[in-house]
Amino acid sequence: MNKDYLIISNNPLVKENFQDTIYFQGTLEELLIKVRDMVHQGHELITHPLGASIRMMFSPYKSILVSSEKKEFNEFFASIAENSIEDYRKNTFNRKTDYQHKNDYAMIDKELLQEALKEHVSLRAIN
Amino acid sequence: MKLELRKIKVTDLALGNEMKFENGLLTIDPQVIIDGLKDDVNVKDVRVDIAKPGDKTRIIPVKDVIEPRVKVEGTGNGFPGVTTKMEQLGSGLVNVLSGAAIVTIGDIVGFQEGVIDMWGEGAKWTPFSTTYNIVVDISVADGLQPHDHETTVRIAGLRAAEIVGEVARDLTSDEVEVYEMGNIFEETNKYPDLPKVLYVEMLISQGLLHDGYIYGVNSQKILPTLIHPNEELDGAVISGNCVAACDKITTYQHQNNSSIIDLYNRHGKDINFMGVILTPELTTLEGKFRTCDYTAKLCKTLGADGVIISEEGYGNPDSDLLMICKRLEDSGIKTVLITDECSGWDGMSQPLADTTKEAVAVVSAGNVSHVVNLPPADKVLGNPEAIATLAGGWEGCLNDDGSMKCELNAVIGSTSEIGYHNLTVKLY
Repeated sequence: MNKDYLIISNNPLVKENFQDTIYFQGTLEELLIKVRDMVHQGHELITHPLGASIRMMFSPYKSILVSSEKKEFNEFFASIAENSIEDYRKNTFNRKTDYQHKNDYAMIDKELLQEALKEHVSLRAIN
Repeated sequence: MKLELRKIKVTDLALGNEMKFENGLLTIDPQVIIDGLKDDVNVKDVRVDIAKPGDKTRIIPVKDVIEPRVKVEGTGNGFPGVTTKMEQLGSGLVNVLSGAAIVTIGDIVGFQEGVIDMWGEGAKWTPFSTTYNIVVDISVADGLQPHDHETTVRIAGLRAAEIVGEVARDLTSDEVEVYEMGNIFEETNKYPDLPKVLYVEMLISQGLLHDGYIYGVNSQKILPTLIHPNEELDGAVISGNCVAACDKITTYQHQNNSSIIDLYNRHGKDINFMGVILTPELTTLEGKFRTCDYTAKLCKTLGADGVIISEEGYGNPDSDLLMICKRLEDSGIKTVLITDECSGWDGMSQPLADTTKEAVAVVSAGNVSHVVNLPPADKVLGNPEAIATLAGGWEGCLNDDGSMKCELNAVIGSTSEIGYHNLTVKLY
């Protein structure tokens, strides 16, 4: 089965461990904007761009999965991608990115990406 | 199912040379806990301390909080599927050391926060400042991988709760809470005119430090499932999450789930409480669509007139919360959401990461961005370096006198989305 996803990441540990990563040297906010733009070009969101807690907003790193194929523009995904940027800006307005623990954030992001990939592959098998 | 929780009130706590309970005083022999936990080869070191309400003590970083209990009649002592062999939970008589809590600490990653202040300003914001806390600091074997580290600390906390719970085996008390409910048909025959209400409890289910467990099964691996409320009150649901400090649901909060208890209290009066659906919050959108469709389908199949949904965490789970809400409201099922807000320091920003027009009944559990001032502690249990992480978010948050400002999101259980916390809602 062909790989139907792209890993968009600014996490150096993910770049190291996942060969085909589209590595992006930028901030998490810039990464969210890049993903939003890709969604507008027709890539589908496979994972939600945000984490599951406020703490993960202070992570310097994030990896997001989108479809490798461009499809029809999807308003729902575009709205999630837009809202994620707004929400990120709101939560980091007063708070700084936590670079002190960047290695731990890199490790957790990689672990969560691995889980997301497992979830995606198992769902793809039944689609 | 009939579950009786016999509450043995703990009103004081001390360290000593034996495990005993007398006139409200719970005495803990640390060595008994240390020996019990060191049976696990992955546990290198254990330190046991106590923290009482009013002590100028700060506990950080907290992993989980667990209520010590022992089942004296019926099946399923401990945490079946995790620390004991698989047995059915939800029935029998349980002796509860009410007012006591096991608090596990030990950082798995450096950015972990989760603070409990036992005194002053900080104490106001966490429900675990009023419990008598047995604080168990667990160091693991060198070289242990993060997943094994997390598992070791999680299970050590549960075992510590079992060890302490044993103290209550032969005790008695006049205060017994009874939770009894027949099957859905029996209850509906009894209360044919009352609206049928289900409770959907969402669990973060996304991977390392972001997991929940049901009878030991990682909730990432399940479709939404129906569980009898008594099973959760009896210890079937366990926290494996230690990143979202303010709105993670600790194991203690599952054991005492306020949403379940409130729904029980109204069962047969103005509602017919039919049960709990546990729903995983997955990472992929496709996974979210599946669980949201499936949750709505379960509610429809069971004929619910109304559904209460509680969230865990913030961010991508907001999408699940609102998608379930939309599906239910579109099916004509009245839906109430319980969530917390992330509405900025002034409380004026949009509260959730996502919106839907169908979310017309929403209960707020508090603003996680609210800033609180924490004075310096006399004693820190855990890792003092974690305090810098806690406060290190912006310029000027650390003051010269050692006090600091932090957002509520660093405080354990401060904005609990199942309602087990100190904040309340003001009606305007």
